[in-house]
Amino acid sequence: MSDPHHPHLHPHPHSDEEHAADSARGALKSGDSGSPTPPDESFEDAGSQALADALRSSFAIVKVLMGVLVVVFLLSGFFKVEPQEKAVILRFGRPVDNARLLEPGAHWAFPPPIDEVVRIPIGQIHTVNSSVGWFPVNALGEPLEAEPLPGQGLAPVRDGYLLSGDGNILHLVATLRYRIAEPGLRYLLDFANASNLVMNAFNNALLYAAARYSVDDILTRDQAGFREMARARLQELIERHDLGIMVDQIDNLRVLPPRQLKFAFDQVLEAEVRRSKEINDAKTYENQTLSQARAEAEARKNTAATERTRLVEFVAAEVERFTNNLPAFHTNPELFQQQRKAEVFANVFANAKETVVAPQRGPGSSRTILLQIDRDPPKPKAPEAPKAADHH
Amino acid sequence: MKRNPVTIFIGGFLLLIFILLLFLFQVRTTEVAVVTTFGKVSHTAEAGPHFRWPWPVQSVHKFDHRIHSFESKFEQVLTADGNSLLVAVYVGWKINDPTVFLTRFNGDVEKAQASLEGLIRNAYSGVVGNHPFGHFISTDAKELKFVEIEAEMQTRIQADCRALTNGLNIAFLGIKRLGLPESVTKLVFERMQSEREVKVSQIQGEGTTQSSGIRTRADYESSKLLAEADAQATRVLGEGEKEAARSFEVFKQEPELAIFLLKLKALDQFLQSRSTLILDENTAPLDLFKSPKAPAPAK
Repeated sequence: MSDPHHPHLHPHPHSDEEHAADSARGALKSGDSGSPTPPDESFEDAGSQALADALRSSFAIVKVLMGVLVVVFLLSGFFKVEPQEKAVILRFGRPVDNARLLEPGAHWAFPPPIDEVVRIPIGQIHTVNSSVGWFPVNALGEPLEAEPLPGQGLAPVRDGYLLSGDGNILHLVATLRYRIAEPGLRYLLDFANASNLVMNAFNNALLYAAARYSVDDILTRDQAGFREMARARLQELIERHDLGIMVDQIDNLRVLPPRQLKFAFDQVLEAEVRRSKEINDAKTYENQTLSQARAEAEARKNTAATERTRLVEFVAAEVERFTNNLPAFHTNPELFQQQRKAEVFANVFANAKETVVAPQRGPGSSRTILLQIDRDPPKPKAPEAPKAADHH
Repeated sequence: MKRNPVTIFIGGFLLLIFILLLFLFQVRTTEVAVVTTFGKVSHTAEAGPHFRWPWPVQSVHKFDHRIHSFESKFEQVLTADGNSLLVAVYVGWKINDPTVFLTRFNGDVEKAQASLEGLIRNAYSGVVGNHPFGHFISTDAKELKFVEIEAEMQTRIQADCRALTNGLNIAFLGIKRLGLPESVTKLVFERMQSEREVKVSQIQGEGTTQSSGIRTRADYESSKLLAEADAQATRVLGEGEKEAARSFEVFKQEPELAIFLLKLKALDQFLQSRSTLILDENTAPLDLFKSPKAPAPAK
């Protein structure tokens, strides 16, 4: 910066810079030692001149720097509110504009310590797990200790559990997902440990709902009702404690009977399975029996209908036969009858397998039995009279 | 050299800032402050900027004015009906009077919570001890006094705080945990075990009852179906017979012939298969064998 090319710009050597110039003279002397020796006076003038120039320009640079700093200071007041959040400015520790919420976008505030920007993650979902109902587990959710033996009790501090309305014990854990409700200042600024309070309110809600329901309702029968009651209770607590949050959902609900009683509870489940199997078997039997009965009933009705048709047709045929035979009969009833009888008898004897003739016992006559036997399955038509005679 | 007005302005500005820093303090909205003059409390300050005399004249003590969460220990309490119950509560408390908070607890949150712990313990015996076990857990909504117990405890602790003038305020209180002594849990397990056994036999009984009910009903339904079918069959047959009977009118012209024809037909049909006949000699064609009365040359 020391510029020796403008020695004609002669400043007043007695300005307030003179003192500093004096002290710097030595250094300048050594720097200019190679030049031809000027008059002493002018040398001193030139030196202080150079120094004064140097200082002035340094001062100008400092001024520029300060200006830049002021600008940077003012620009540092710009900040961005992300889409998932809102913000509030605290001026001297107090919310400005009645705690007006700043929407996402660019905003400006005085730099600290005047203003402080509090960001409110409105859209973010926070998660807490209930902490009182479950046995100790590691990070992977596996039990820390070995399965307790049947008959072993639960240590109050170590083992978490809930008491159900019917005085039973069960393990239960659930996850609460919630969001900060607008305006969000309550949640962020009024609690020393807000998420801890939310967790305790959630614990209380589960505890309360469990105290209302029986163990079977919670485990199987009415889990939806239990969940609904826990949710209603949580809502009530949120309003009463004024926690400034909105429940998104309660999920991950896991319920277990005490591990000491696993066997007994499993047996109930087995019995239930057996019961439904038994009932299903009975229903199968019912279906089979009824469909069989229906088929049988249908068959009987059809048989009856067939029988009826047969009967009617039989009678009709008989009637026809009667009508046809009537004239012949009228002509000579006796002859007609004998004739017909003979025809039928011939047919009957032809078809009969065995014929036994047992004569009536007459006085003085020995009983004679005539047998006509044909044991051969395919029966030939054999004349009977000669055979009968042979036997005789 | 003449004074540069900009320089003077900047110098003055810096001096102002220095003075402001020295004479002002700000209290965040989450805090409350107590100002002491030569160690003696002079006033409290809420959120915002405030004036102070610089040290060593005045000093400022800032406290967290938010609601703190405190959880009591899990303690055993006797209920009104003599059962042992383990209770833990959570309390939301805040500094109500920072001056008292400063003087009593030296501004220490831990100390305040220790004092609170004592008050909660009193409330356990005073409030929990007045309620039977059934007020804590019950499937009967009318019997359950869960909410009332919480309210009573809160009221009591709040009253104690006021009586002690410890500068604390109870914002809310809730039961965090309920439990039973370890020995009692064993008894509960035994009872639960026997309940399960009862349930198993009950379920088995239900299964048997329901399934046999279904089977019986099936049998009944099917025999009813068959009976109805039989009834209908009989009716159909009856109609057939009635119809046939009308045809019998024709036979009245010559009943003798009709009977004869039917007899013949019946005989024919009935003896069509390979049956065994036992006849006496008077039967139609066999009467030809009879010799004593008939003349011998007939054969």
